[in-house]
Amino acid sequence: MKRVLGVALGVLTAIGGFLDIGDLVTNAVVGSRFGLSLAWVVLVGVVGICLFAQMSGRVAAVSGRATFEIIRERLGPKAGLANLSASFLINLLTLTAEIGGIALALQLASSVSPGLWIPVAAFAVWLVIWRVKFSIMENVTGLVGLCLIVFAVALFLLGPDWSKLAEQAFAPSVPGSESAGAYWYYAVALFGAAMTPYEVFFFSSGAVEEKWTKKDIGQSRINVLVGFPLGGVLSVAIAACATIVLLPRGIEVSSLSQIVLPVAEAGGKLAVAFVIVGIVAATFGAALETTLSSGYTLAQFFGWSWGKFRKPAEAARFHVAMIVCLLVGLAVLATGVDPILVTEYSVVFSAIALPLTYLPILIVANDEQYMGDARNGRVTNAFALVYLVIILVASIAAIPLMILTGAGA
Amino acid sequence: MTRRSKRFDAPLPVLEPAEQYAGQVLDARLHLLDRQVLDRDGVPVQVVDDLELSDVPFGESIPSETPAPVIESILSGPVLGTRIFGGRPPSSRFHRVSWDRIAEIGIAIHLGVAGSTLDVTWVERWVRDRIISRIPGGHHDPE
Repeated sequence: MKRVLGVALGVLTAIGGFLDIGDLVTNAVVGSRFGLSLAWVVLVGVVGICLFAQMSGRVAAVSGRATFEIIRERLGPKAGLANLSASFLINLLTLTAEIGGIALALQLASSVSPGLWIPVAAFAVWLVIWRVKFSIMENVTGLVGLCLIVFAVALFLLGPDWSKLAEQAFAPSVPGSESAGAYWYYAVALFGAAMTPYEVFFFSSGAVEEKWTKKDIGQSRINVLVGFPLGGVLSVAIAACATIVLLPRGIEVSSLSQIVLPVAEAGGKLAVAFVIVGIVAATFGAALETTLSSGYTLAQFFGWSWGKFRKPAEAARFHVAMIVCLLVGLAVLATGVDPILVTEYSVVFSAIALPLTYLPILIVANDEQYMGDARNGRVTNAFALVYLVIILVASIAAIPLMILTGAGA
Repeated sequence: MTRRSKRFDAPLPVLEPAEQYAGQVLDARLHLLDRQVLDRDGVPVQVVDDLELSDVPFGESIPSETPAPVIESILSGPVLGTRIFGGRPPSSRFHRVSWDRIAEIGIAIHLGVAGSTLDVTWVERWVRDRIISRIPGGHHDPE
């Protein structure tokens, strides 16, 4: 019984933890401009993150080594440092976007300007990282994040023409009002949002934090393989809500209030209350994960002591690094930059950085010294190679597409 | 080795180790450099930045029967820049952990001593004493 509860908790937190500000914004933008014609990308991204997260979790559980220790060990200092710089900066960008996201969600609830919420949000993130146990942090944000199911409920309440939605989703074509360049640009963005690299640093380091062993691989596989696809369903529900409400009226998503507009129309105040709680939990959870990821990447690369299972005094540089990252995020937001804009860029840059973390994990997951008989099977490797191609194409195409389309304008 | 890998691994050219050195053969680049070093309690200490070998006389002919150089210590120092751009930091900038402190070499290098007794952890201790200890709650377990 305890085991069943454990699995259920894991799956639920995986669903609630799947969405972050990147998924919220990108799916709503895509829905409001392209309808469901990009829903296939969410599917591709979800299968990819399942494969990738599961692989990095398994490597960490079997070998006890987290992603960035392996990256440096396998790539050497030159390529490793280039990889660290890129991954770290993009993670910092994502962290900034998430903190901005918390502030925007709190603004919706309180009408207090986000400029005032931003320092409060960053301080709260730090306090949780400083004092709260890893498992509690993960479970609470994941479970409260489940409030975002209200997007799926709203979809039913809106009573859409299901056959039309299905046609868009299963026979995708570029809508007449949009250029092919913009379509593919948002395809890359959506892919980056679903497969954000920080999930992988976080997942593998989390496996070390929670002291996974080979025995836990089965449960983590269920969490990932059930939780993430259901999270993907929620992503599509967000896009579908935007398709029904925003697309016909030509409303372009440029703020959080437009993302929750369909929910307000479908379910009124109560639904809005749920969605705000859900967004705060999702962005807060993701802010914790990205902050920790910035500490993990640095500490693992330089060989510092790290981990929330230690007292802060026993992982001093790790904690200082995270404090500095939060302060940098605050400084960026203090310039008055629009968090939604930061988010849109962060997901595209995530897509660019994906091969950097994906390839070393794939190599080590096949290394006998690290993995023993828990190496990748042939099926996993076949999938992994297909995804290597997809990830490379998305990564290479991202910058030309960004320039060609003026960042999707 | 499992059966599967036997079938898939192409035969590798085998470097025969000298007869008198029985046991594990380590490749410095593959098994030592850039590996994580853990102390006896499993706490990360450093990453192996470089290795120091016993002196080999330079520019002189080496008489036969001279014993081969051995690794004296693993080093940690500001090598990241020099390994990328070339050059070498002066020897005084390195922290050394003597080779006889090493208990086990696997996918991480395990030391037989506590990390806090080593010079190489001074930055960690400085940050702990000067910054982290002064923030309330720094010495508590997360709850």
